[in-house]
Amino acid sequence: MKRYLPAIAYFVVAGLAPLVVKDAFFLDALVLILIWGAAAAAWNIAGGYAGQVSLGHSAFFGLGAYAAALAVTRWGLSPWTGILIGAGIAAFTGMVIGFLSNRLKGPYFVIATIALSQVLLIAASRLKGLTSGSEGIPVPFRPGFWTLGIADKSVWVWIVLVLAILVYLVQVYLERSRRGFQLAAVREDEDAARSLGVPALHLKVAAIAVSAAFTAVCGALWAQYIGFVDPAYVFSVDISIKFALASMIGGVGTALGPFLGAALVTTLETTLRAQFGGVGAQFIGTYLILYGIALIVIVRYAPRGLVGWIGERWGRREAKPA
Amino acid sequence: MSLLSVSGITKSFGGVTANKGISIEVGEGELVGIIGPNGAGKSTLFECISGFYTPDAGEVKLDGKRITGLAPDVVCRAGIARTFQKLRPFQGMTVLENVMVGALTRTKDVKHAREVAREWLSRVGLDEKVDTFARTLSTGQRKRLELARALATEPRVLLLDEVTGGVDQRTIPGLVQLVRDLHGRGVTLLVIEHNMRVITAVAQRIVALYLGEVIADGAPQEVARDRRVVEAYLGQAYVQ
Repeated sequence: MKRYLPAIAYFVVAGLAPLVVKDAFFLDALVLILIWGAAAAAWNIAGGYAGQVSLGHSAFFGLGAYAAALAVTRWGLSPWTGILIGAGIAAFTGMVIGFLSNRLKGPYFVIATIALSQVLLIAASRLKGLTSGSEGIPVPFRPGFWTLGIADKSVWVWIVLVLAILVYLVQVYLERSRRGFQLAAVREDEDAARSLGVPALHLKVAAIAVSAAFTAVCGALWAQYIGFVDPAYVFSVDISIKFALASMIGGVGTALGPFLGAALVTTLETTLRAQFGGVGAQFIGTYLILYGIALIVIVRYAPRGLVGWIGERWGRREAKPA
Repeated sequence: MSLLSVSGITKSFGGVTANKGISIEVGEGELVGIIGPNGAGKSTLFECISGFYTPDAGEVKLDGKRITGLAPDVVCRAGIARTFQKLRPFQGMTVLENVMVGALTRTKDVKHAREVAREWLSRVGLDEKVDTFARTLSTGQRKRLELARALATEPRVLLLDEVTGGVDQRTIPGLVQLVRDLHGRGVTLLVIEHNMRVITAVAQRIVALYLGEVIADGAPQEVARDRRVVEAYLGQAYVQ
């Protein structure tokens, strides 16, 4: 139980914050922190626990975002249905990529994932009839819970908090369950794992599919929250890197790490945007430089991320890489 | 009937034929040694049996059931476990977790797997290392860990690739004793071994391979005296 206290504290604070703080800027940041945290944690299922590092997870994020947006604007469905459709399509795409991982290892797999996200970017930009191309799709605001037309940002905090906790629980499952141990073995040494009876390919495919599905849910909720989807952003390498980076900063293969990393990265980005918005708009891009510096510092001084670093300071055993 | 039956296994890599029609029968509870100089095809044969290679011809049967060409994890679940010549512990996991991975092939219950793993670790003499990371173990301890891990999958046949290879002289007797104990417990073993003294002492039967073919198959003393075996190992000059 003790080892879950930091995570419980994290989610409780996030859940209670809207009751105390009413500031819209703060609540907006909190929603984004939780969405990006959930997305980073979803990335961590594949990249951390299964050891299948992807820099193309924006593919799944974008599929979710578009599925939800199109469900509302073109097909007249509830965005919730759209979220499920997006998750299904992403899971299927994840399975295909997962099967590829059997042949494409390490850097080759990374490149394949980047390629996937870029192919989708081009497809979404060109299929103007369906997606309105690079103009993007504005998501109409229709008040109500089932239409996700929610003006109160506190409610958004709670919705994405549920998602964040779900993804967190999937990670905890991967730390404690039979399938989790087997997946860890696959990550450590696939052949040795197979020689011990572990169905390595199935586990990898399943992990990537689940990771993709949750990433799509994040994308779908993000689209509904922001109210606008355009291909250049949702399928960008930028946000793929953001998921991986948040995980790495927080601690790859740890359940809480991605949420801590996302909190840091998102705060940094939001602050910079607030600081340099308007007059110094050209400085907004500085966050990329800071990403780079943060990554160098983490890799050099805390290779196991914030969770590992804090764990070492407190001399706790649970800080071991799971 | 033999428990493990290998017949006519042939495997080529480009122009090199590593296994040429190898046939070996291993009976229930038997301990069979495989010897042969470097490049004789011992490891290739293990890869073919354990499913890492698909042989070009021939078949492998476990208890009468054909398992040729099945994936390694399926072969393991069918009842054949193996160790690797080049040891491959899960470095980032603890010793206990390493063995749990093996145990989880037979039980769905993590708690139960933990108990089973503890038992195997105490049998191979690693009780005190349970919670340390596998990467901190010495070579001898890693060999024991690989054994425990493979045994935890409850194999009907255990393939051991070089039990005493790469460990220092003082460690060898302990490992040999361990293999003897396993055999005494009724585990069926097929053992690749370079150390002739070791293998003639533990094996009931020895199969000698040379350039991909079986050149002798019989009682240890017979095989050790076999003209072709001596020739293969030491060269023509030593044959009397």
